Amino acid sequence: MPKRVLIVDDALFMRNTLRDIFAGAGFQVAGEADDGVQAVNLFRELKPDLVTMDIVMPYKSGIDATREIVQLDPNAVVVMCSALGQESLVMEAIEAGATDFIVKPFRGEDVLAVVKKVLGE
Amino acid sequence: MKASSHKYLPLFVAEANEQLEALGSDLVRLEKEDPEPALWDSIFRRVHSVKGSAATLGFTGIVDIAHRAEDLVGRMKALAAKPSRGQIDLLFEASDTLLTEVRRVSADPGAAGPAPPALVAKLSQAAQALPDPSAPAHASHKPLEPAAVAVDPALPRLEISVVLMKSCAAPGARALIVQRKLKALGTLVEMDPLPAQLMSQRGGAAISASLASDKPLDEVRKALAGLPEVESVEVRSAGSARTTSSPPPPAAPAPELAAVMQAAPVIEAEELRPEPTVRVRALALDQLLDQAAEVLHGIARLREAAKRLPENVGGAFEAEVDRLRRTARDLHGRVMNARLTPFSALTERLPRAVRDLSHRLGKEVDLDVQGADVELDRNVIEAMGDPLSHLVRNAIDHGLEDPKTREAAGKPARGKLTLSARRERDKVVVDVADDGAGLDADRLRKKAVATSAMSEEAAAALSENEVFELAFLPGVSTRETATDVSGRGVGLDAVQRAVEALGGTIRIRSTAGKGATFSVELPINVSMANLLLVQVGGELYGIPLHRVLLTTEYDLNARGGEGFEARSLVVLGQLVRAYALAKLFGLPSLLPPGPRPFVVMELDGVLFALSVDRLVGQEEAVLKPLFPPLDRVRGLAGVTVLGNGRPLLVLDPRGIAELAGINEPVRASKGAA
Repeated sequence: MPKRVLIVDDALFMRNTLRDIFAGAGFQVAGEADDGVQAVNLFRELKPDLVTMDIVMPYKSGIDATREIVQLDPNAVVVMCSALGQESLVMEAIEAGATDFIVKPFRGEDVLAVVKKVLGE
Repeated sequence: MKASSHKYLPLFVAEANEQLEALGSDLVRLEKEDPEPALWDSIFRRVHSVKGSAATLGFTGIVDIAHRAEDLVGRMKALAAKPSRGQIDLLFEASDTLLTEVRRVSADPGAAGPAPPALVAKLSQAAQALPDPSAPAHASHKPLEPAAVAVDPALPRLEISVVLMKSCAAPGARALIVQRKLKALGTLVEMDPLPAQLMSQRGGAAISASLASDKPLDEVRKALAGLPEVESVEVRSAGSARTTSSPPPPAAPAPELAAVMQAAPVIEAEELRPEPTVRVRALALDQLLDQAAEVLHGIARLREAAKRLPENVGGAFEAEVDRLRRTARDLHGRVMNARLTPFSALTERLPRAVRDLSHRLGKEVDLDVQGADVELDRNVIEAMGDPLSHLVRNAIDHGLEDPKTREAAGKPARGKLTLSARRERDKVVVDVADDGAGLDADRLRKKAVATSAMSEEAAAALSENEVFELAFLPGVSTRETATDVSGRGVGLDAVQRAVEALGGTIRIRSTAGKGATFSVELPINVSMANLLLVQVGGELYGIPLHRVLLTTEYDLNARGGEGFEARSLVVLGQLVRAYALAKLFGLPSLLPPGPRPFVVMELDGVLFALSVDRLVGQEEAVLKPLFPPLDRVRGLAGVTVLGNGRPLLVLDPRGIAELAGINEPVRASKGAA
């Protein structure tokens, strides 16, 4: 069974880029959300194996969404996607329960390396 | 990832453009209002979003500017003070440069250059002049108060060293992950350096830690080596022999309980959120609309064909076709609705334009946009972009006075420009209102006479309201000196033409000294235009039915007067000028002399008649804009595709009237023959 991913980012450009990376590596993109509220709702609905979470988003930040997702499922695997220079936000997200993080700009192999590690593969 | 080959480059450009335009509006608000945290967040988010995507494409120049602007915004937000003019101008400059850079890479991704050093320096300087908000936050990441850690002395001590990869982009965050893993493996006694100390450092790091844990060394090593960006791990036993079982680390709260606790706020937030949307290519919507219209045409033809069926089958068939038609109409309506775009799409960039223009002209203008969420068809929105900008420029350039003049007239120094959209039944009314000087009736009269649009007597006879209509005559609203602001040789006649091409109307209300309002009434949809099909010179043309008063047959030759281009016929007891459509377009008329059909049209209260070769019928069609070079042909309003797939040119009654030389405005031409 392919691992199922939920991609959260407010920029369609980033979602498409991530979708290609995951689809190319045999993951199943179970859903995409463009803000934190939708992310939590979709997480509840889809129960994905993995969430990639943008930090700065409208309506609800990736940090708050992560906090809620981890409360819904303490074993949720949430990988933050942050831009360079957001370290303190990433640290806040980790304290909120994020599993790990990747820093933009990333190459496909960087993303997959982190994801495979956190999924224990 | 090579940008030039990136398939999502157009998407990046579109999104970045959108974010930066909205950023412009945000910055204008920042200048005017006491900024609230939400506004700061919005500004930050837009810059940040552009930065993230640009980084992925390797546009380092854009990333550099965005990164520094973001830093400045972050610090300004934390300061919560009203920003200075200089700071705002700097953000505007950054926003403009970003937009320029995005456009540059849009045209040629290879042309991406480094950030302008002067701008980068200014942004950094401005940021460094402000306190760094993330600095005090470091304290919150200091997790260990050694005195507070109760360590079971019976537990074995492990000495651990973890080396982070050089490529690690956020060692502070990475160290925090390591720290969390260590805490999960036992009791963390010591860690050096602490995550907060590694923040903003690049080029890897070596962390040493002391852990009290009864876990096998190998398990600890594997757990840490399994973390991303960890280059090497060493775990040694540091003595303390006895092995007793330690209590397990505190478990996370039970998921059920957590879910219950969390349920309420989540639902609340859901209500605040707008309906989920997807991005659809505009072209796809155009095609959908075309095809929905096509289906309607097909059904219309089926209904025609059904009339020839024998009665016993015809009835049932027609009933089915009718049912199908209702569904198709419903479908067509839904596609139309999907194309609706909020008025804000037109006004988004205006605050910035108004600010720049008014600064340049030494005027002070407050822009007020109302009804930003009123929706119009995408085509209407697109076609109204230039006309609306023109009206706005016009109001600032000609309507609103400079502060001194205003104060002398007893008005507030700041002028007010109001853009409002409101729905009225199946129309949307867009008002562009200013509280400036109003239109100069005398100047308009003189100008109309000077452009020989009408005689001095006729101009003098016009009522106040009729005079304002003169502004729409070609050449009247264009300034003597073409300023680069609202000159450009484009007058209000072009605005009127654009509005009417959409099936709309434009009116002016003006009070001397109080201001002027341009009121544009637009159809919500580019719904099916009703066309009268006529044949001239072997070709079919469409005439918008809403301009057609009646059709009649007349033999001009019977009245004599051979050789005149424009003659007249009697319609409803009134003499009406008649023109040959074929002659206006330079087409051959295929009809021998004798009686021929005329289409009598009405424009601004003036009747005129066009002779055609044949009246063919009526047709409902979706009007589409003309493509070059046809868009430069006078007298054409658009093109549509007939049910049989053939294109049909649709005439523009106003353009025809101009071609024919019926340029005397309104009532002045009454009775002319």
